[in-house]
Amino acid sequence: MSHTPQIEMVTGAIWYAAGSEIPDVEQKLYALSNQCTDCNICEVACSLVHSPDGMVNPLLARLHVDHSPQVGRKIVHPFAFVADICHHCGNPPPCAEVCPVDAFYYDPATNVAIIAQDKCIQCMECVPGCPFDVVFVAPDGELLKCDLCGGEPACVEACATRPEMSNAGKQYVRAPVLFHTDTAGYREVLQGKPEARDEVGMMQAMLKAGTVSSAA
Amino acid sequence: MESRLLRVDLTTGECSVEVVPHAMFERWIGGSGINNWIMWEHFLTHDINCDPRGPDNIFVFGVGPLAGTGSGSGIKGRITFKSPCYGIFGDSAAGGKFPYMVRFAGFDYIAITGKAPRPVYLYLCDGEVEIRDAAHLWGKNTAEAHGALRQELGDYPSAAHTLTIGQAGEHQVGIAAVVSDASRIHARGGGGCVLGSKNLKAIAVQGSGGIRVDNPRGLLAWSRDFRQKIDQNEAIYGFKRRGTLGAVEMYQHIGSHFWRNNQGNMFRGEEVRSDNWVKKYHKYSEVCSADCYIACDGRYKIDGTESEKAKKYVGETFRRPEYLTTGSAAGALDLRDWAEVAHWGKVTNDYAIDNQDLSCSISFMMELEQRGLLSARDKGELFGRDQSLEWGNMEDVEALMHNIVHRENRFGDFFNDGPYWGALRYSEFKGENFMKYAIYGKGGASFTEEMRPFPTWMNNMAVASRGADHLKGIGLVEKFQRRDLSMKYFGRPEAADLTTPLLKGACTAVVENQVALLNSYGVCLFHWMLDPGGFTPEEYYGRAFAEITGIDRTPEELMRDGERICNLEKAFNSRLGLRREHDTVCERWMHEPCPEGMYPGKVASDMFETVLDEYYDWRGWDRKTGLQTASRLASLGLQDVAEVLAAEGALAPG
Repeated sequence: MSHTPQIEMVTGAIWYAAGSEIPDVEQKLYALSNQCTDCNICEVACSLVHSPDGMVNPLLARLHVDHSPQVGRKIVHPFAFVADICHHCGNPPPCAEVCPVDAFYYDPATNVAIIAQDKCIQCMECVPGCPFDVVFVAPDGELLKCDLCGGEPACVEACATRPEMSNAGKQYVRAPVLFHTDTAGYREVLQGKPEARDEVGMMQAMLKAGTVSSAA
Repeated sequence: MESRLLRVDLTTGECSVEVVPHAMFERWIGGSGINNWIMWEHFLTHDINCDPRGPDNIFVFGVGPLAGTGSGSGIKGRITFKSPCYGIFGDSAAGGKFPYMVRFAGFDYIAITGKAPRPVYLYLCDGEVEIRDAAHLWGKNTAEAHGALRQELGDYPSAAHTLTIGQAGEHQVGIAAVVSDASRIHARGGGGCVLGSKNLKAIAVQGSGGIRVDNPRGLLAWSRDFRQKIDQNEAIYGFKRRGTLGAVEMYQHIGSHFWRNNQGNMFRGEEVRSDNWVKKYHKYSEVCSADCYIACDGRYKIDGTESEKAKKYVGETFRRPEYLTTGSAAGALDLRDWAEVAHWGKVTNDYAIDNQDLSCSISFMMELEQRGLLSARDKGELFGRDQSLEWGNMEDVEALMHNIVHRENRFGDFFNDGPYWGALRYSEFKGENFMKYAIYGKGGASFTEEMRPFPTWMNNMAVASRGADHLKGIGLVEKFQRRDLSMKYFGRPEAADLTTPLLKGACTAVVENQVALLNSYGVCLFHWMLDPGGFTPEEYYGRAFAEITGIDRTPEELMRDGERICNLEKAFNSRLGLRREHDTVCERWMHEPCPEGMYPGKVASDMFETVLDEYYDWRGWDRKTGLQTASRLASLGLQDVAEVLAAEGALAPG
């Protein structure tokens, strides 16, 4: 294996050498397989947030929903949908490592590597450079990589199975698909047992919630 | 608002693209509103009394402005056409990914006329249109056709999404449906028959374009608010788990099912009475339409261990049954096993046929048999064989379904337009009146639910523009006895009170306007029904509409827009000769007392005429003829429509 040259990255003023004291990105996006409902809202929200002129287009999103996740050549699950999202690898991220023009820099707010579009020459080296296949190419050639929206990812907020929807302790429990940062909190949700309650139907739930007042 | 309309003339093969003018959105909002107007304009230059199966009929597909923009309120594509089975206005909606992808392919509306000389399919990709040969798809069911198209078109620039017809559409069965992505069905009214008559097997789209939103920040803020409202709403969690299947238990409780051709209103099968389907069969994750927060859909797979009958369907996998799939199978046909109910949903989807019309037709025949009204000779005439017609027998059901889908024998021919026309044709054929066993409203097959105790629902069935329909003016206020909503709409509680005819017609009129708005926005009705926005789409969704299109309206103006859309549908039917006497329901509902459940003894005729009068009054239509008045149409800015109606004598005098 040939020697990989060290790449320096910049956060405006401060330069970091690869392997130096930048900690691995603490704030990451996580996705749970087989919980995704394929609603595509994460893609839509992502493209809307990143579009200066209000263009909704899933192909401009920085994460994609994989419709037939495969292990090797075998489709693992015919109806599983998995959100392919950036893993925000540590310093240096493999996508940045292969960049010939050092177009990646760390966002000081989140410590995640971001592509500087004015520096990028659209050589697409980072696409195969990413071990998780999550650097995407827009129809116009722009390279798209997750930037965590500066710390508050729109996809996480919009996810149809977002943490709020996991609704722990209520009658319906579902783990979140996309979640962000502090894993301990979510681990609790994931490992915790739902409060035992009788399953009730839609109408009964409405009755209970007082949103309907049927004679039933 | 950028939006394009694709016009395709299949006779000549000409395709043209028009920009939908902004004024169109100001007048018709989008979605079903614009669809209706495109069809209305078409029939100003074509004979409205044309054969709906002929080349002069038009098939419009449209998506509303809110669809697929991240508003999170679901997405519905809408097809609009002159119904081949009922001969009146026809439209139908379905969700999934197809409508979303049509927008990314660069079109919001597709209007198809003419007739192709041979089977073709329409291919749309990033603004380009192509009419392609579909000989290899003809004869395939919707799942096979969808799979073949997906394989053929590949994954670039995006995955392909399709709208296909099945064998029923190919045979021009009046109640044939159109299926989107092999799993979501535009069932009502016979859209599949229209496509089949045009030799159009499918529409396939791929797209990499986008949708431009007027104010993205505003829209993001709106959807954040929408999410918070959804998160606080407990009813949604039950709905996420079961979808409309949650209604099974509730309806069993109040006696609102449709059992054996509505001879009863409760399910008898132990198994199907509760929604334990979910526990037994639901094995995969929830699935939903694009851009939807609820995900009320799911997948089942049958492994044969669930029940004795499930052994027949080992390995079968499909979307889980909706309430009406269950209502038609477990109710109308009295199938008592969940595996059979699920299988019924899958076959009707594969053939692409409306399971409401189909089940009512089959249950009509089964009731005749039960009453001993079918001799061996009658059966010979109808089926050409000694057909067994046993309630709850899946083999009999499948045999009759096959007859209708392929229009094989006299029965298949008589009933290809649903139970009303089927019963009429059979009565004429035998010279004996069997109409009292047919369950219908305004010529359309009943939705498989008990309606008699619920005056608003009965009124919906009688006045809905597309024939017996509960989705045009959902009577939730009354069924759930929502006094709060009655107070909100009318300042009085009577609309929620089942014992009085007061405000029932008014409630239909108001909710019809709201639903017309929602359909025009291109969103799903379930979000509205689950109440995150307080049952006032004109206020809540109106804000999202403003952020997306830049058209800022007051709620009052939007309600008038909804009323305008309803009035255009009415005008279409008036041109076809529909009057007050057509706004009616079948004899069983009208005069046979409700047999059981929470409200026994109720008949529709108790309140029917009073409610209908009130409905016309609220609409500003003439009580005597049921026709629209020039003054009301003028106040809605529909003078041009009034002129057309006046010229054809379809406007109320005075």
